[in-house]
Amino acid sequence: MIRSMARLATTSDAFNAVAEPQRREILGLLSHGERSVNDIVEALGLRQPQVSKHLRVLREVGLVSVRGDGKQRLYSLAGVGLKPIHDWVKTFEQCWNERLDRLAEYLNEVQEQEKSK
Amino acid sequence: MTQTIEQAVDYSKLKVVATRIFAAPRALVFRMWTDPAHVARWWGPHGFTNPVCRIDARAGGAIHIDMRAPDGTVYPMSGTFREVVAPERLSFASAALGDDGKPMFETLTTVTFSERDGQTTQTLEAKVLWLTPGAERYLGGMEQGWMETLERLAAEVSAQ
Repeated sequence: MIRSMARLATTSDAFNAVAEPQRREILGLLSHGERSVNDIVEALGLRQPQVSKHLRVLREVGLVSVRGDGKQRLYSLAGVGLKPIHDWVKTFEQCWNERLDRLAEYLNEVQEQEKSK
Repeated sequence: MTQTIEQAVDYSKLKVVATRIFAAPRALVFRMWTDPAHVARWWGPHGFTNPVCRIDARAGGAIHIDMRAPDGTVYPMSGTFREVVAPERLSFASAALGDDGKPMFETLTTVTFSERDGQTTQTLEAKVLWLTPGAERYLGGMEQGWMETLERLAAEVSAQ
């Protein structure tokens, strides 16, 4: 469990992509449905080259997908890209649960010791 | 190209919440988190020991734990206490490292303790805090906005 927490090699890309606030805004917008680059530029008030750059990063890590050609290209969310993040959270959760199990056991021990004093 | 959509993934869970009820007074439960001699006995998975366990339980104080796996590998954890209100509540932030060894983001762990009829309810919430420059404005209210985004994401993905 801890070993998998230490081995985060496959997750960095997705995490780094999502850590950028403007990219989170783009993901938020796409969560309402597919959008063109221009839609995103207008909705978020960002510059077009910047949006294109963010979309390229998001595509590279599989967080968004694209369909169509030229100006008709429409971007949408790709759930598969968020899986590494979900997996990390899952491992994180299991780590905490295991730790809290140990805390419960140890707390029992401490109380038994106090009673027998 | 077709992409597989993982239906079972709940993207809204970018935080962990765990509630436990202990048949013990909360002052004792609280001490389990702030006294290094106690923490060293339960921190980490089964079979792990904590040869180094330093805890300065006050706001701004450091927490450093070296977890040692049964095979001898040491996993260090360092963080800073954000808030310590005995015996009600404590929180600490620590960095999560990426494959390049650099911090990817921080996790903020908040533990609250309430006592009733000699029993203590302990609620733990651990969540991701982004470290990206400019991310400060996203903490607080915007952090909530991001959680909502993830929830919408989850709905979107399930609908496909």
